[in-house]
Amino acid sequence: MVRVEVLGERLVEVSVRLPHLAATALPGQFAQLRCGDGVQPLLRRPFSVAWAVDDICSFVVAPVGEGTRRLCALAVGDALDVLGPLGRGYRLPDDASNVICVAGGVGCAPFPLLAARAREGGGAVTVLSGATTERRLYPAERYQRGDAAIRVVEATDDGSRGWNGTVVDLVASAMSGGASVYGCGPNPMLAALAASLSGGAGLHRAEVSLEAPMGCGFGVCLGCVIPVHSGDAAAPASWALCCTDGPVLDITQVDWERLMALPRAGVA
Amino acid sequence: MNATGGASADPTARPELAVDLGRGLILANPVGLASGTAGFGFELRRLLDMDRIGALFSKGTGIHPRTGNAPPRLAETTAGLLNTIGLPNPGAEHVATVYAPEYSQWRIPVIINVIGATVEDYVSCVRRLDGVDGVAGFELNISCPNVGHGLDFGRDPSAAAGLVAAVRGATEMCVIVKLTPAASDIGAVARAAEDAGADAISAVNTFVGMKVNLDKRRPVLQAAGTGGLSGPAIKPLALAAVAAVRGQVAIPVIGIGGITTTTDALEFFVAGANAVQVGTATFSEPHAAITIIDGIARYLQREGVTRVTDLRWSGFAAGSVPPAGIEPASTG
Repeated sequence: MVRVEVLGERLVEVSVRLPHLAATALPGQFAQLRCGDGVQPLLRRPFSVAWAVDDICSFVVAPVGEGTRRLCALAVGDALDVLGPLGRGYRLPDDASNVICVAGGVGCAPFPLLAARAREGGGAVTVLSGATTERRLYPAERYQRGDAAIRVVEATDDGSRGWNGTVVDLVASAMSGGASVYGCGPNPMLAALAASLSGGAGLHRAEVSLEAPMGCGFGVCLGCVIPVHSGDAAAPASWALCCTDGPVLDITQVDWERLMALPRAGVA
Repeated sequence: MNATGGASADPTARPELAVDLGRGLILANPVGLASGTAGFGFELRRLLDMDRIGALFSKGTGIHPRTGNAPPRLAETTAGLLNTIGLPNPGAEHVATVYAPEYSQWRIPVIINVIGATVEDYVSCVRRLDGVDGVAGFELNISCPNVGHGLDFGRDPSAAAGLVAAVRGATEMCVIVKLTPAASDIGAVARAAEDAGADAISAVNTFVGMKVNLDKRRPVLQAAGTGGLSGPAIKPLALAAVAAVRGQVAIPVIGIGGITTTTDALEFFVAGANAVQVGTATFSEPHAAITIIDGIARYLQREGVTRVTDLRWSGFAAGSVPPAGIEPASTG
């Protein structure tokens, strides 16, 4: 570990020297971070690769449980066992079309890397950055990382900063012809995003990064299922694995009705 | 000096790691990947040198495909993991026609874990896969706690015997029976399986457990609120189950339950196992099984012990342990 930075309430950025991951991770892919001795906590914790430069990768961590608190308590020089990159990331546009990132809370995580890579394609990038309150907003300059052309528009549920409401309210005004929309955040926010985009006007592509409790992260435990449309009305309930089919899925593939009907899993 | 209770130290001896499970099924080493923790092998093959593994025990496979349970399917507990995955699998036909041709190119044996709701389910599944190139043998899951009907076979010695006899009649290949710790007398179920023609016993499957969400005042997992507990938390329970089985059967016993380190695996050999399976540990450390294989070889070499079975405590010789003979703890 090379750096632990507290950016806000429940908002910590952990940076680690990881040459392989830094060289290979695509926006939206994740890594499994070991935060114990493999006994307690038993499982690794999955985090989006938030940033990669030279041989350093950064992860955004909300210290809410034992595992995440241990990660945030790492000291400079401590080793961190990381497995990745894992999963399917966002598909960036092939051309210079506009990119809109819709981030809620720690759902900010994939977007610094995505914004930088999308800018390499030459298109305009807008990040709609939302949180419940100002103290939980990911800093705008962290999305930009020196590229002021990345536009950041903020929203808070309590109006303490930026637009008083959710980032989904801001999507329509940010839309332009052929835009690609990428979401990451709480399920209700993503479901609202799906509903707001359902007309499809001016939309090139819409994808979301989802979360589920994961056992392995590489497709063998089959624990992290997300309800998806099977494409066959007669087919039984269809599931995608968050870890290997996702974590990024096409927004139309997700069965939002079934997803929202599920109880929220307890986070260890 | 060693503490192996009889085996004499010979520093020049080469460890013999191969394990014969019967009917021609020989593992190159005594460490397999446990069913339900390695899928059908294709994902892990990209993460580790699968050729080093003793055997792959496939995800539970039935005659018909299953999609599995609604989430949440997992709940982490203290040194453990509860699951209620619901045995999703593509069905025997898919395994026979799509996966087995791949397995036939692999150097390690792939043992198909078989699930079912009825004797006929098991027999149909085994018949479809019997003799298929790439299928090395069968492990009957008579013990998954998540699908109610499968439970009955594993809890009752006569039901287990009936199932094993029926499957025995359907294949000449190696049949391993994976037991549930929910049986009131696991040694008796093991003995019934052996008498009915089982070639080996896997012990043990997950223990039924529950995690509670106090804020919501309900279990974390759905439906019955219970799941199968695995991980280091169950190791002492699994060791006792292996010892109880070892005391009742002469056939090979494959120890399973919370094996995370080389030391864990060696302890199962002391308790009577001929081989082991690494399960939940693979989730945190995909290379755990390979690390353990190397660790076992080093330990045997260092201790001058030829075979893992030489580590067995003599008190666990067949017939020497009373069935389910767990004395009430003295409270002094």
